[in-house]
Amino acid sequence: MAVLNLKSREIQAKIVYYGPGRSGKTTNLEFIHNNYTKQVAGKMISIDTHGDRTLFFDFLPLGLGKIKGCEIKAQLYTVPGQVQYRATRELVLKGVDGVIFVADSLKVRREKNMLSLKDLHQSLKKMGIDIRRIPLVLQYNKRDLEEQGFPLMSVEKMDHELNRQLKVPSFTASALTGEGVGNTLSRVMKLTLQHLQKEFQWAQGK
Amino acid sequence: MNFGEKVKSLIKEAELYKSQGLLNEALDAYKNVQTLIESTQNIKNKDSLLKKIADKIDLLYAKMETEFATPNPPKVSEDARSVIKEMITEDDPEAKGSSSLAGAVALAKFGQYDQAIEELTRLLSYDSLRLDAAKNIVWCWLQQNEVDKALGRVKQWMSGNVLTLSEVNSVRAYFEELVQKSGLDARISRDKIQKDLEPESQVDDEEILDINSTRFNLPRGPRKGEAVELEVSFQAGKYLKMLVPKKDQKLIEGLSVGDQLNGMIFYSPMAIFSGIGYVSSKVTINAGPKKGDYSLEIKILSIQT
Repeated sequence: MAVLNLKSREIQAKIVYYGPGRSGKTTNLEFIHNNYTKQVAGKMISIDTHGDRTLFFDFLPLGLGKIKGCEIKAQLYTVPGQVQYRATRELVLKGVDGVIFVADSLKVRREKNMLSLKDLHQSLKKMGIDIRRIPLVLQYNKRDLEEQGFPLMSVEKMDHELNRQLKVPSFTASALTGEGVGNTLSRVMKLTLQHLQKEFQWAQGK
Repeated sequence: MNFGEKVKSLIKEAELYKSQGLLNEALDAYKNVQTLIESTQNIKNKDSLLKKIADKIDLLYAKMETEFATPNPPKVSEDARSVIKEMITEDDPEAKGSSSLAGAVALAKFGQYDQAIEELTRLLSYDSLRLDAAKNIVWCWLQQNEVDKALGRVKQWMSGNVLTLSEVNSVRAYFEELVQKSGLDARISRDKIQKDLEPESQVDDEEILDINSTRFNLPRGPRKGEAVELEVSFQAGKYLKMLVPKKDQKLIEGLSVGDQLNGMIFYSPMAIFSGIGYVSSKVTINAGPKKGDYSLEIKILSIQT
């Protein structure tokens, strides 16, 4: 849950990057860490396996400046995507304010995307959160791989399969080159701050 | 697409997936190549091609074994530990005590047991957190299959004054429940745990007279505080066995293994004396004429002369 300090006019939101293994969640954070240096407010922490798979999570703190006199901070987390780390994913999701679901555009990962989205839905439900009520943005990652000969799903197909019912903002991206990374993050932050405004009226009177 | 082009294309696909870390997908592609070669007739170098693909598949399996293995939780840096503690702490930031407990529990959940135990041990000095901290220490040891260490800690609390009597009882019950649930009691018998947890008696078996009956107040249950008198059916030194008929359900509900019975009166043909007892066993009789009744065992911890 966001930390709101009305005395010092500070908001800290927790944003979690969710998605199947190898879909590019860590790469999103790495790009932000390496390219948004002004906003990066601390060390990026990664706890991964020898095979570079996220074991626990990645963490990156950001300072996003002032809005309506309030200092906005974000803590970005990724979850381990591998199926067997469900318990860890649920721990990382605890207190989440906004979610970016990173889907893999490769055709062969179609089913994994759907299973991971279902897993997100169930984990949130377990925490008493309705997936349709939490700020959520979809990112269709790895669009650049088409040039290398990988068969990709069309954006329309991905939207149809993953976003038909949710109807949340979606972005195409290539986390490796940075395309779409910033847009995805700023949209989820916007949605999160709007959501927190509804809940806590933090911008009242300013 | 002719045979050669098909093979090249499938191998390229496999290599691409491998480069993306998608090992299962790479494996599928290699297996498709294998099937294609096997099902095609009149290939000159069929065996050597199949051998090359089989080698690639073996390498892939080896890679998968290391990548998909669930490693033991690594020891993480101080920075990472801070993030873990902060991440799970949802409590009011002003409530420093409870957020410390949540942080320590978070460390344990991420497998950072040594640090978690260290922090939980520190929290034992806070009245409101002591019981939860103690239970979580036990949980940390059992998560690492260290039954003896958990047991040792419980015994230490039982003989010391860090925890109150009711806290000790609660921790002990929690420990037994965890051991039972985890299946660890298959390795160490429940009786052994129970015996290990029993407080030491200050009396020698030889000192104790034959006891006919005993009187004590029920420490819990619907008849809490009520004095009851039970006949001793069997005595082995400081251990007294009593039978409680099944119709006295409310009486038996007033006693739990681990209860300490202060101010017990012991009736012997030669003298009446008082002392402290400990409920060391309470079981339902499953066979014979007394089936359904309860067998209660009390250990005499001390006698007052």
